[in-house]
Amino acid sequence: MLRDITLGQYYQTDSVLHRMDPRTKLVGTLIYIVSLFIFRNAGAFLIATVFLFAVIKMSKVPFKYMMRGMKSIFMLLMLTVVFNLFLTPGIPLVTFWKLTISEEGLRIAVFTAIRLVYLIIGASIMTLTTTPNHLTDGMESLMGPMKVFKVPVHEVAMMMSIALRFIPILLEETDKIMKAQAARGADFEHGSIIKRAKSLVPILVPLFVSAFRRANDLAMAMEARCYRGGDGRTKMKPLKYEVRDKVSYVVLIAYFVLVIVAGRFSPV
Amino acid sequence: MGIVETRNLVFEYIRRDEDGNAEGVTRAIDGVTLDIKKGQFIAILGGNGSGKSTLAKHINAILYPTEGAVYVNGKDTSAPENLWDVRQEAGMVFQNPDNQIIANVVEEDVGFGPENMGVPTNEIWERVEEALNAVGMKAYRKHSPNRLSGGQKQRVAIAGVLAMHPKCIIMDEPTAMLDPEGRYEVIRAARALNQVENVTIILITHYMNEVVFADQVYVMDHGHVAMRGTPREIFSKVDELKKLRLDVPQPTLLAHELQKKGLKLPKGILDRKELIGSLKSAMEDSVKKQNVASRAGNKAIDHEKKNADLQEALILDHVNYVYSTGTSEEIHALTDVSLTINKGEFIGLIGHTGSGKSTFVQHLNGIIKATSGHVYYKGQDIYDKSYNLKELRSHVGLVFQYPEHQLFEETVFKDVCFGPKNLGLTDKEVALRAFEALKAVNLPDEYFYVSPFELSGGQKRRVAIAGVLAMKPDILILDEPTAGLDPQGRDEILDLVKRLREEQNITVILVSHSMEDVANYVDRILVLEHGSILMDGSPKEVFQNVDELERIGLRAPEVTYIMRDLKNEGYDVDSGITTVDEAVHEILSAEGRIN
Repeated sequence: MLRDITLGQYYQTDSVLHRMDPRTKLVGTLIYIVSLFIFRNAGAFLIATVFLFAVIKMSKVPFKYMMRGMKSIFMLLMLTVVFNLFLTPGIPLVTFWKLTISEEGLRIAVFTAIRLVYLIIGASIMTLTTTPNHLTDGMESLMGPMKVFKVPVHEVAMMMSIALRFIPILLEETDKIMKAQAARGADFEHGSIIKRAKSLVPILVPLFVSAFRRANDLAMAMEARCYRGGDGRTKMKPLKYEVRDKVSYVVLIAYFVLVIVAGRFSPV
Repeated sequence: MGIVETRNLVFEYIRRDEDGNAEGVTRAIDGVTLDIKKGQFIAILGGNGSGKSTLAKHINAILYPTEGAVYVNGKDTSAPENLWDVRQEAGMVFQNPDNQIIANVVEEDVGFGPENMGVPTNEIWERVEEALNAVGMKAYRKHSPNRLSGGQKQRVAIAGVLAMHPKCIIMDEPTAMLDPEGRYEVIRAARALNQVENVTIILITHYMNEVVFADQVYVMDHGHVAMRGTPREIFSKVDELKKLRLDVPQPTLLAHELQKKGLKLPKGILDRKELIGSLKSAMEDSVKKQNVASRAGNKAIDHEKKNADLQEALILDHVNYVYSTGTSEEIHALTDVSLTINKGEFIGLIGHTGSGKSTFVQHLNGIIKATSGHVYYKGQDIYDKSYNLKELRSHVGLVFQYPEHQLFEETVFKDVCFGPKNLGLTDKEVALRAFEALKAVNLPDEYFYVSPFELSGGQKRRVAIAGVLAMKPDILILDEPTAGLDPQGRDEILDLVKRLREEQNITVILVSHSMEDVANYVDRILVLEHGSILMDGSPKEVFQNVDELERIGLRAPEVTYIMRDLKNEGYDVDSGITTVDEAVHEILSAEGRIN
């Protein structure tokens, strides 16, 4: 159940996207997300769609696998759609009972849903094709200049990388603890909200205890392997832009310009 | 001067109460002097809480001596300027495979140490390659650690240390959380490093068969070295080891028991081959091929007794369980499992990791619902809509692996109350049951109202078992209840289970990786392989099929191999023997001292 969440997981395979520099992918994702929020019409949407599918294809990650991650945001998606659909004022399209769907509402609901779905897919492509370590390396490098302002860039990157590594472990652990408490007759599904919130205590306490124990162990293991922060550290995989990254940047810029142009001049 | 040396090492820590006030001082290490030479394979043995892990952490400069000194390659570990040299030269592998892997890809994790040391990029790659090769994990370099087995993870951890080019590697119970296969992998890797690369290895463990080939063994007890010597010297003192919460491998134990009965065997026998050799010279040839006929005919009796007045408790009828993993393939975790569990049985469930043991037991109390098939408890289908699953869980108690990790209440007593409370009993009844359960697991009264987190590992486990017992189950399932405990802790838990079964007439299902434990305690064994029941019979029947068991990665108890070897040597003994006691009796009666 909990293990089905694919968001933020890495998918092991070999593709151009997998080999690409994480900085390129980070910047690319950022450009893509921005592009999603500036388009207002079907033309730009079409370009974004083509671009997205081309990237999905290139990633060699099974589409089905990617979509499984969508399940977890389904509720959020429905909520957004429903609110936008009924609460946007404008020219009424359909009215039943006290609820009105306006033309603007329909339009905004559709676009918001598309944006949200595309955003999640876009972001998951990045995490699916980039090892978390690579990802944090990329962030560390992109945010490098912030060090001047005493931002602990390396430490933050390291923390993120560790957090990502322990997410699947802690999810599995949660699953196990829930089963163990269920075996002692715990009930997480029935009763009032307060009762259900209370039923989380037997899960959360062991989970926190375990997380602290793991943190303690990990800190010790890192120290034992001479970890002492970012200074004086070398990299096994230093980031280096290859030809494919340069090509990607050109493609990204071209894509961005296209979206803007289409956004301006598209008839629909 | 050796590679690692400790001089009169003392380590004390201050116990604090909840408000941080000092309550007293505990001496975890009390005057340890060691001198470990380069290239040696050293084993440090000791029960839980004997101070062996604390000692290990000193060698890697994670802890500093309160008194005395530790030198690694001649450098004082407590001098700040030596810190990084010491940590590089004395690498450390920890117990929990998950909690020491930092990176999300195997090769990046192995590169972590060299990165920290500031090794140039090209050289890091060379070192990573070398290290992964040395532990046989090169094929997995691009994998995520989460998908590896425990043994593989530990080998990655060893590679991670190796890439730092240490002079010595300290392994702090690296096999405690692994299955037998993983344990074998790790020990083999450690030995290879020692022999091929000449790396000094300090192995801390409480598995006795792992220290047989060590150059020197130290046995720790209450913070000091209680025994030291070669494995042979150590293993010749069986009774002393038992006092220190340890045991000896089965061949050693069998030899010891036979000696006590007057058989002339040399002291400190280490393995099966040695035992067979000495037994051959000790036993008279007259035993060979003597009155075979008169001693046959014992076996058939077992079968007759079965089936008589048995009451069915749980029935599984063509149970299948299928789930899909992330990558679009379906996994058949259980395939067409049909069997009957009778009241009062003591069942052992064996199978290698991934054979479906955990999935199987979770079907028995309805935590997992079968994809198809039925489970009947006392004649009722538990998948019926009207069936009360919560009530089933009070009848079928399931103790998960490392159950102490599920403790959560402020006090031991409250935690044990959790189960009965969920059953909706009155406060009085809840308290009564919790009290009974804690009494049943032999927890001393003074621990009833302390936090469960303050107890020792073995005590915590007993509290967790009490938490399930308080539900008053008729069937008690224990998934690896002895994992991570020292030999004495293991025996205590298993004896406890045995006693509970006898006193309260509980049906017990014990999931275990230890063939010896299973043979010693249960009267029926289920062997799972790829989610189906491969064998179902008495220990004698199951362990008779040694070849079949080995094919699926299992073994028979060591003593069964001994008896088989003896038989093959031409001695008239029963090769189907599964426990040391039986073997002693069989060998002696064959030798003519009994009867």
